Amino acid sequence: MILNTGRTIPQGNSVEYKPSPEYGAETSRAFLAPLDLMDLGIEDGDRIRVTCGDRSVVLTVSAGDHVPPGTLFVPYGAHANHVVPAATHGTGMPDFKGISVDVEPAMDPVRSVWDLMEDLGGRRY
Amino acid sequence: MIVRDVICPFCACLCDDLDVHVEDGRVTGVDNACDLGSHKFMTDHRMKGPVRRTASGWEEIPLEEAIRETAELLEAAERPLLYGWSGTCGEAQSAGVHLAELVGGVIDATTSVCHGPSILAIQEVGHPGCTLGQVKNRADVVVYWGCNPQHAHPRHLSRYTTYADGFFVRNAFKERKVIVADIRGTDSTNLADEFIRLQPGGDYAVLGALRAIVRGKGDVVPPEVAGVSREQLYRIADLCKTAKYGAFFFGMGLTQTAGKYKNIRNAIELVDELSRHTKWTLTPMRGHFNVYGFNEVCTWMTGYPYAVDFARGMAFYNPGETTAVDILARKECDMCLVVASDPAAHFPAEAVEHLASIPVVQLDPFPNLTTAFARIQIPVAVSGIDADGTAYRMDGVPLRLHRVLDRGYPDDAGILLEITRRITGGGSR
Repeated sequence: MILNTGRTIPQGNSVEYKPSPEYGAETSRAFLAPLDLMDLGIEDGDRIRVTCGDRSVVLTVSAGDHVPPGTLFVPYGAHANHVVPAATHGTGMPDFKGISVDVEPAMDPVRSVWDLMEDLGGRRY
Repeated sequence: MIVRDVICPFCACLCDDLDVHVEDGRVTGVDNACDLGSHKFMTDHRMKGPVRRTASGWEEIPLEEAIRETAELLEAAERPLLYGWSGTCGEAQSAGVHLAELVGGVIDATTSVCHGPSILAIQEVGHPGCTLGQVKNRADVVVYWGCNPQHAHPRHLSRYTTYADGFFVRNAFKERKVIVADIRGTDSTNLADEFIRLQPGGDYAVLGALRAIVRGKGDVVPPEVAGVSREQLYRIADLCKTAKYGAFFFGMGLTQTAGKYKNIRNAIELVDELSRHTKWTLTPMRGHFNVYGFNEVCTWMTGYPYAVDFARGMAFYNPGETTAVDILARKECDMCLVVASDPAAHFPAEAVEHLASIPVVQLDPFPNLTTAFARIQIPVAVSGIDADGTAYRMDGVPLRLHRVLDRGYPDDAGILLEITRRITGGGSR
């Protein structure tokens, strides 16, 4: 599937306080077309694992009629960036949109933003 | 107390008509702001004072000590990266560029992960820009391409386009046509007179097809281009050519998609083509309230708008090499000073990982995800709320932001000047 990231109002509202539950809840959502949910055998509110190369992240699914089949939209933030590749193709800009990813149903819990930072060597504040 | 005509320091619309209610040194209400602006004024999760990471947790340290240690880290570094700058004012940005030159570091702004590609395209083919006042008063056709202003710039439509009556557009809602291009339906596409629904990655092809039609070469356009029918393309080209004044706005849908700056170059050249028939302009939908300001400040001071490397003792600019994500992903920098941004939240994980292996100092009012990697964080005043300063609107108009209260925090510029003074020993450079 194709991963696209972008801004949303709830993400922007909580962007000045990212440790908040509201921020983590918004940036760990993945909007998929209802047809893709049927193909994956999952329902709104279930979880998926999104994998790109050797990195993966678990997200909560929201059904969205506005999302084209074959794509998923994830609000811009630490969860999506956990799988966004760093290559900038000589422009300085990574591909935050149009990323080819694998998507599968998952039972693992969604990790908090501090969990993700600790995975990368940081420490929660 | 109500402070009137306050400028909002959230996005680069810089709405200048807010009324802010202040009581007992706190903001208790905001009138006229969008949801995003209101939340910024009302958020009250600031860090109390400077903190330093210890072996097992965090300790509070005096400001003096935080500044001294930051200066020492910058001096000791062979290749420091000074990153961020878009959430602060021009005065701090200017101090940052001087500091980068002093320590022979690389200075880059959030520009590189938002409209950096737009600047690369503008450097190739120019910028047919205008002020937002021109759009409000004259534009009868407005394009939003690859952006969702209802979520990222919520008052853009009410202040400048769809809902804003202008001098020559007396009834904007009826007289203005709005075209929105996106790969998905959004709250902005719902308001469009024409919704161009593209296939992902189809922007370059569709812009190219529109250029061909406007140029009179429509016979080369196939029946469908990246999911868009030839009939719709002709209809849109006609709408654009017959406009009295057209305004083309675009966002990350063009800059972050494959093709990057070539997408924007194609958009600029479409605007150029349309301007052979009528008047068209193009404006990037800049994100942070003063990201444009960094590009202005950095250009006056170095000749380049972002991603400037002073390691050679002179300004060197090469996006893709001297941009922050690339430097971090190559594990090249050995110290990072982050000012007014949050790279740990907004950079790919591969780039963020390197922050864990180098000393990081952050100047930011709030704990954020970069705090997780910081050796030291110094909380500062919020520009436009409890600090004065100059910011540039998305159309390049500089506006003076005034504080609405004083919470006793130092501002970014003051801290940066003090760090510089310590490195130079108090003398001039």
